[in-house]
Amino acid sequence: MLPTIVVDDAKCPDPLACRKCLLVCPTRVLGLGTDVGPQKYREIAPQHFIVRGVREQFCTACMKCAEICPNGAIQVAVEKGVAA
Amino acid sequence: MCVWCERYGGGHERWYLNPANYARRLYKVRKDEPESAGTEGNPQAAGGMASMGRTFLEARERGDLETVESMKKQAHDMAWAIHFGQVMTKEELEQVLDMIYPIGLMTCACRRSMRGLPDEENFTCVGMGPGMYKWERWPDTYRGGVHFLTPDEAKQVFATLRSRGLVHTVFTFGTPYLAGLCNCDYPDCAAIRTAVDMDVKVLWKGHYIAEVDADLCNGCGLCVRRCQFKALSFSPSTLKANIDSMQCYGCGLCRDVCKPDAISLVDRATLPALVEAW
Repeated sequence: MLPTIVVDDAKCPDPLACRKCLLVCPTRVLGLGTDVGPQKYREIAPQHFIVRGVREQFCTACMKCAEICPNGAIQVAVEKGVAA
Repeated sequence: MCVWCERYGGGHERWYLNPANYARRLYKVRKDEPESAGTEGNPQAAGGMASMGRTFLEARERGDLETVESMKKQAHDMAWAIHFGQVMTKEELEQVLDMIYPIGLMTCACRRSMRGLPDEENFTCVGMGPGMYKWERWPDTYRGGVHFLTPDEAKQVFATLRSRGLVHTVFTFGTPYLAGLCNCDYPDCAAIRTAVDMDVKVLWKGHYIAEVDADLCNGCGLCVRRCQFKALSFSPSTLKANIDSMQCYGCGLCRDVCKPDAISLVDRATLPALVEAW
């Protein structure tokens, strides 16, 4: 089973400014996107940026992202003992 | 033969050296489908740089080759019609820079997504040609702004990025309209990741393959860390550089740092088994 990464957006107000989880992930599993799509021709306000797990096949469940998040917004679920 | 050169080469050596593929008449906004939105929106559409979603990863994990292949085909059809890229050598890049106008240095969407990189540290992409006139009407589209460069300034910028170890790539925006020049690396370029990690060819290999002349190679190993495609290794048995021709994208970054000139780029077309290995 692929690990599942859940981000609570309410606890993650400005990931573009914080970006701690993006930088700490050793395999770049997380991606920064927006909850409004690409929004052509407009600058996107910071509160619309979101973090998601997008390359879960590389997630080792090291939990560094969950630990570094200042607001505890990230949860990683993995099935123990089963090779991903 | 490269299918893009065949279709869009127009008598030029490469399709991206054909000025017609940068022409205004090819430029128009093609996107018809609505953008997906909301927190459950597809992270790819939302700019999360996931070229293939979780459904694809799950199919791969359970060994469902039929689903994997059909999703790959879908992704290829869409990418090749709308937005895909190819690796270029330094020499080819310089020919392109002499051909296009305007040249607008802008921020990289991939590194923003992967690293949340601040705009001022992130000027590694170039938008080129008539598409850049959008900037005058919608400057907010371009986070961090756009710096317009002369061909000579652009060559300097690209040389600096290349010396840092970044690979030159050219991208279509509505194939064959070419409008993006990027400087990419593993693991922060979404195109390289998708091609190398998932064998989904949103980035095609270049027209060359790097080869090591074992007699000239002095075993310094400087080239090894330049490869962004997992093609180059240092062989402990021969104490020389070793290039996996099947995995080489032909960017020539390894060649740049080879002091004894042991690495050369040979045309892919001269290697029958690799001619179609894009």
